[in-house]
Amino acid sequence: MNGPMAMPLDETFPRSIAARVGIGGPVGSGKTALIEALIPVLQARGVDLAVVTNDLVTREDAERLRRSGLIDPLRVLAVEAGACPHTVIREDPTLNMAAGDDLELRFPGLELILFESGGDNLASTFSLDLVDWWIFVIDVAGGDDIPRKKGPGVLRCDLLVINKQDLAPHVGVNLVQMEADALKVRSNRPVVITDSRRSAGIDAVADRIVRAVLFR
Amino acid sequence: MLQIDRIVGSRLDEGYSERLHDLEHHGAVEWLMLAAAELARRRFRAVTSGGTEIAVALPRDETLFDGAVLLFEQHRAIVVRVDAERWLRLGVRDMAVALELGYHVGNLHWRVRFEATAICVALEGPAEAYLARLAALGLDDRIEVAAPEAGSAPC
Repeated sequence: MNGPMAMPLDETFPRSIAARVGIGGPVGSGKTALIEALIPVLQARGVDLAVVTNDLVTREDAERLRRSGLIDPLRVLAVEAGACPHTVIREDPTLNMAAGDDLELRFPGLELILFESGGDNLASTFSLDLVDWWIFVIDVAGGDDIPRKKGPGVLRCDLLVINKQDLAPHVGVNLVQMEADALKVRSNRPVVITDSRRSAGIDAVADRIVRAVLFR
Repeated sequence: MLQIDRIVGSRLDEGYSERLHDLEHHGAVEWLMLAAAELARRRFRAVTSGGTEIAVALPRDETLFDGAVLLFEQHRAIVVRVDAERWLRLGVRDMAVALELGYHVGNLHWRVRFEATAICVALEGPAEAYLARLAALGLDDRIEVAAPEAGSAPC
């Protein structure tokens, strides 16, 4: 775990218990772009938030968010998995749990921590020891057969996001059918279509987060 | 919406068991029904058997369990009741199949328990979905499948 801290620890201040939301999905599906789009939407709703990123052997995603100007860089921590990314969000999430604990201690009043997984495969899932609720991000350019492959990530997540909707006509994807397939394999549990780059569908994702774990 | 931010006790606790029994007789115990796989959640919305909307937000060092008392008032209580876990028993006839099956269920990250000649899989979805995975791996005709039974001992 790496990253500068916001202030000295003050053990006398009541500690926050922030909601923890996971964001996982394959490499290049748009997890970081989704977070970049979510941050201003959630901030506009008055949500006090921080982010933990996971990368294989770098801090690329954390540095991208710190440089984005969207969030206080001190509110972004990086975890280097050093192995298959799912190992630190499922089998042994202690590094990420410690990062979340750190943020709660350093930022009294923190309400929400977003945990971005490293890019992984369709079998990637989050441990409920780490997060309260989790999102799995796939994208249309990955192929419209992804939902039909019934990967555990697609099936078990609390919210499935199908990103890059704008690319559907360019990659020969029938987005309506892809969404229908996703709803079918998920027994009608929620699916949201997004174009994170243009903030399309982001309000719907924020609505889900705020309702599910912030109870608003 | 009713906010639940701690577990106040267990229905087996001396202080609660008798009083809960009395409340049950008056239909005043509301049950929060949860699947076994959902017990690890600490923050979620739910509706009790009595129709009460609740928002659960537990400290990270508290874990829900069957019989956890979430609310205890003079005329009402809310208690967790866990759905019986369903297990799919996969019997094997020889060591080679056992090794192959064990390798694949590990890769699939299924929750399992073992007995001498079988692997029992905790079902978090339809049994058909698990059997389809095994068929795709060419294992379906080399194992003996026992239909899942809710609440039965795993193995």
